[in-house]
Amino acid sequence: MWYFRSPEIVFGEDSLSFLSLLSIKRATIITDRNLLKTDIPERVRRALGEGVESLIVGDVSEEPPLSEMTAHLGRINEFSPDWFIAVGGGSAIDTTKILFFLYERPDLTVYDVTPLVQLGLRKKSRLIAIPSTSGTGSECTWAAVLSEENEKRKHELASREILPDYAILDPALVLSLPLEQTRNTATDAIGHAVEAYGSTWHNPFSDAMAEKALELILGNIESVIKDMKNPAFRNQVHIGASMAGLAFSNSQIGLVHALAHSLGARFKLPHGKTVGLFLPCVVDYNYDSCTERYDKLNRLFPDKYRVGRLSDSIRTILKAIGQAQTIKEAGIDEKEYFSNLDALVTLAGESTGMVTNPKDSSSADLRNLFIKAYRGT
Amino acid sequence: MPKFATEEWGKEYVEKLNSNSNYEDAGKNWEGAITFVIQKDESFNKDAYLYLDLYHGKCRDTKFSFTESELPHSEFKYIGPYANWRRLINKEIDPIQGLLTGKFKLQGSMIKIMRFTKAAKEMVSTAATVDTQF
Ligand SMILES: [Fe+2]
Repeated sequence: MWYFRSPEIVFGEDSLSFLSLLSIKRATIITDRNLLKTDIPERVRRALGEGVESLIVGDVSEEPPLSEMTAHLGRINEFSPDWFIAVGGGSAIDTTKILFFLYERPDLTVYDVTPLVQLGLRKKSRLIAIPSTSGTGSECTWAAVLSEENEKRKHELASREILPDYAILDPALVLSLPLEQTRNTATDAIGHAVEAYGSTWHNPFSDAMAEKALELILGNIESVIKDMKNPAFRNQVHIGASMAGLAFSNSQIGLVHALAHSLGARFKLPHGKTVGLFLPCVVDYNYDSCTERYDKLNRLFPDKYRVGRLSDSIRTILKAIGQAQTIKEAGIDEKEYFSNLDALVTLAGESTGMVTNPKDSSSADLRNLFIKAYRGT
Repeated sequence: MPKFATEEWGKEYVEKLNSNSNYEDAGKNWEGAITFVIQKDESFNKDAYLYLDLYHGKCRDTKFSFTESELPHSEFKYIGPYANWRRLINKEIDPIQGLLTGKFKLQGSMIKIMRFTKAAKEMVSTAATVDTQF
C-alpha cells in the first residue's frame, strides 16, 4: 500500500489567470524580498480580479528561521484570509505552508507537523503555490524545510495536509529568473528526479514523473541558459521541475539531500548548488546497489551529455550549465570546511534521506563522501 | 529457533542488536527506551510487550511481558498487530512506510525519532536476522 499525492496543477501560458476562477475573498500573498522588487506580486494581485482583498507579506528571506516567519502571524490573523498564495522559490513556498498551518492551528507548534498527526487544516483557508523558480518542487510536495537558527540544522517537516491545493505553473513568472538561480534550481530538480528514481520507496507513479522530468529538463536547460527569455524553453523546464517535485514527494529524497541539507545548514550556499556538489559522487557511491535503474536513467540523457555512467553524464550536464564541480571550487574555505566535518557527518546521518537511499551508509561512508565532494577525487 | 513474541526471542534479538555495528553507529546519539507492542489478532491471542532501553547505540536493558504494567515506562512505543510484525520481520513492510500507511502506530515524539530513521531501519533489519518461528 502506498500513495500518489499531488495538488491540482494549472500550467502553461497565462495560467495565472486561473486565480480569477476561484471564489477568493481575502488572499494573503506571501513572497520573497527579491520578488518584491519586481512586478510579479502585483501581477498576482491583479490576476485575483476585482473586489478581492489582499495582504502582501513580502519580506521572506532566503531559508528564513522560524522567528522570522512567525513575525508575520499577527498581521495575517488580523487580516483573516480565506486563501494563502505563495509566490516565489522554495523558501517563500515553505514559509507559506508553515504560516498556513500556524494560522489554521494556533494551538499547535511547527513540531506537530508530522505525517502521523491529523492536523485538521482547511477549516478557515486553503493554499495555492505559484513558483517563480524552476526547481525546488515545493509547490508539489507535502514537506517544508525549516532552518533552525540556533541549532544550525534544517528540519524536514512533513504532512499531507500542507500539500498545496493548487500549483500554478505559469512560465511568465520564471522569464526573469537570474542565471545563477536558473542553474541552481535546475540542478536541484535533476537531483530530485535522480534521487526519487533510486529511492527504495520508488513506485510506478514516481518513476514516470522522474523519467519525464529528466527528459524535459535535460532537453531544454542549456537552451534556457543561452536564451533566458524564451518562454517555450522555460515552460518545459518549469513543468519538468514540478514533475521532479512530484517524483520525490511520492518516493522520498536520498543521500544527496541528506548531505546537501547538512552542508547548507553550516555554510551559506544555495540549496540547488549543494545538491549539484554531491549528486555525481553519491551516484557513483550508490551505483552497485542501483545499477540497472541508474543505467536506465543514463539512457534518458541526450547524446551530447551521455558519456560512460550516469554520474559522468550528470557531471557533463552540470559543467555545461556552468555549475561548480567541487565544494572547493564553490568557494568554501578548506580549513573551515574540515573543522566542521564531524558536525556535517552527524547532521547528514540524522536526515530522513538516509533511510530511502538505495545503499546503506555508515558515518565513515558519509565522511568519505564529504571529503570526496570537497576535492573531487 | 525462538518463537516471536516470547522472552527467548527478545533475548536473542537484543544479543543481535548489541553486536550490530551499523546499529551502534546509527544510534550512537540516541537516548530513550522504546517498547515494541505486539497486539493480539487472529493469529495471536494476547498482547505482548518487549521493552528495550536504548542508550548510545546499545540496548542496556530489556524486559518482555504480556502485561504492560510490569514494564518500566518508555518514551516511545511502536505498536502493531501480530500479523504486521510478522510482515515487518520478513521485510515485507518498511518500518516508516508501515507508520505512514497505518500498519503501525508510534507513540512518542515523531520529530525526535525522525532524526534516527537510520537506527530504526537497523533495528528492523536486526529483527530479520533472528531465525524466527511464528
Ligand atoms: Fe532539493
